[in-house]
Amino acid sequence: MTLQVMSGNSAQSYAAALARVHVIAAYPITPQTTIVEKLADFAASGQLPAQFVKVESEHSALQVCVSASSLGARTYTATSSQGLLLMHELLHWAAGLRTPIVMGVVNRAVAPPWNLGADHTDTMSQRDTGWVQFYAESNQEVLDTVLQAYRLAEDPAVRLPVMVTEDAFYLSHTVEPVEVPAQTEVDAFLPAREARAVLVPGRAARLGSFTGPDHYVEFRHEVAQAMARVPEVFRGVEEDYRSRMHRYHGGAVATYRVDDADAVLVTMGTMSTTARSVVDELRAEGRKVGLAKLRLFRPFPAAEFRELAGLVDRIGVVDRSFTFGAEGPAATEVAAAIYSGPHHPFLTNYMVGLGGREVTPQLVRAIFDRLLGAEGPGTRWMDLPQDAGEVTHG
Amino acid sequence: MAAVIEIRFHGRGGQGAVVASELLAQAAFLDGKWPQSFPFFGVERRGAPVTAYTRIDTHPLGVRTSITTPDVVVVLEPSLLRTQPVTDGLRDGGLLLVNSSHPAEELVLPAGGRRAAVDANRIAVTHGLGSLTMPIVNTAMLGALAAVTDVVSMEALDRAIQEFVPARRPENQAAASDGYHDVRVVGGTLPFTPSVPRAAAATLPLPEGPMASESSERYHTADWRTLRPVIHLEKCTRCNFCWKFCPDDAFSFDAEGYPVLRTDYCKGCGICAVECPPRAIEMVEEA
Repeated sequence: MTLQVMSGNSAQSYAAALARVHVIAAYPITPQTTIVEKLADFAASGQLPAQFVKVESEHSALQVCVSASSLGARTYTATSSQGLLLMHELLHWAAGLRTPIVMGVVNRAVAPPWNLGADHTDTMSQRDTGWVQFYAESNQEVLDTVLQAYRLAEDPAVRLPVMVTEDAFYLSHTVEPVEVPAQTEVDAFLPAREARAVLVPGRAARLGSFTGPDHYVEFRHEVAQAMARVPEVFRGVEEDYRSRMHRYHGGAVATYRVDDADAVLVTMGTMSTTARSVVDELRAEGRKVGLAKLRLFRPFPAAEFRELAGLVDRIGVVDRSFTFGAEGPAATEVAAAIYSGPHHPFLTNYMVGLGGREVTPQLVRAIFDRLLGAEGPGTRWMDLPQDAGEVTHG
Repeated sequence: MAAVIEIRFHGRGGQGAVVASELLAQAAFLDGKWPQSFPFFGVERRGAPVTAYTRIDTHPLGVRTSITTPDVVVVLEPSLLRTQPVTDGLRDGGLLLVNSSHPAEELVLPAGGRRAAVDANRIAVTHGLGSLTMPIVNTAMLGALAAVTDVVSMEALDRAIQEFVPARRPENQAAASDGYHDVRVVGGTLPFTPSVPRAAAATLPLPEGPMASESSERYHTADWRTLRPVIHLEKCTRCNFCWKFCPDDAFSFDAEGYPVLRTDYCKGCGICAVECPPRAIEMVEEA
């Protein structure tokens, strides 16, 4: 284990290399490019005995990973924003064919207008494709989660692809100290993928061929069941990681000072760091507030939120993307989760940080002030120049 | 060092501002500190203004935002003093460190602010870092920063250069050392003249729909230029290659079909000079 100063993108690269991936296929896009550039360096120098496949688009990149994974290879790719959107068709294929691909996604705004900043719209618009989705807060969490993602993805009870996302620039290009485990430590945690090759050279087989309604439903139900097993498998993976590496990022939902809180904010990604500091400041002022950092978005950790609903009176869900005609996607999920439980605290939604707009301590404080005050339901678009931020749907 | 120290770098693409901010983070880490550093890019192009941020604390940082109230502002390219709001938010008693051949006394700063100047272009050129027209000044600037603040030790900076600078390590070590010894700092109080007032975002008129608020013709990007193409018309064959290859559409034509440089848009990339078949275009240093 060594402590090194590195970017979130380097944390992705080092994690993929430590996982001893066999095949990397990727197409460059800012702010992802440096992830696969570093992996290309590792592969070219022989440091990583992997095949780096250059392709003409993100669509092809994921197709290469799906094919290689179907042959039993451990595969990695990375993309961002428009590149992820171009992958959309293959995202469904990867999940439906049960290929345990791990993909780094740098969360970047979607055009138009062109923008490179942090924004969760790219991955949120892929949330129904059957991929497990993790959102990371720090470069350390990026590295650890990628390693955990391979164990989770390849678990026989799961066999689903996993995205590990990081906010553009606030992680992708931010350097900070990261503990890098030794190769031997990673090998012990993450053994070679058990060759459960679906396609074997010399043995004829078809993959994903035409299936009528007599069996199609069964295939989809199997994916649903695999996804439903993720929370339990992930708990085991994270506990094993904790016992070996002595680091723990708090499960699917990492709560902070929620036990006696009057109001809790639900956050994702890098805004969580800033929000946690604000929680400490407000606590020092005697205000009972807390934080619930949503790490795992798919499958959605509904049980954790039903539990949280029993502890607090007011929940504010802070989204970094918006579903036009509805609300922030995290808000929808939290509300749906809580509805089926016995406790129904007041719940409202705050839109922040689109296109890389800063989520400052002042902004988080303003959100807590609103949430603790006479706030109504609906979605508040924060940090707009004029007081026109209200969007409610009746 | 009681609290977090915040440093903001202003440079142009190609000068090494981003590497400077990362190198400072590596050096601070070697000093036993907890650093956090990241750049802000708009357009990723050589010559475009670049901002980068480094925070240094003794423990993990509780904020992930850009730096709006820096303790130290480091300006790698003096022309940015005229075109970018580099001193925005600089704290009372903060420090402005500029790459400049002018003495520090000529820098204008907030009342009570410290100013420092170092001729990093000369140092970089002396050590063969970058080119005459685009010297890579980052290590000289970091040496100067180590001299005039307690942000980072010279020993850690020297080690960080040895470990993390991709090329020309001895030259970069020497440049840092020269920056350390040559920088001049003045204190005192001078009236504050903001370099460029920041436009209030709230007052900018937003366009209808996903349109740029102005035609790109109105963005005069020529202030990035360090080299200027000079067309020797006596050699020109009117082949139009300069116009065809120019990535910025910076050529128009006169009535006889000879190229005319649109000086507001030429960024001085020199592609025209390379592509011109009769070698009728010469790149000369901007005055």
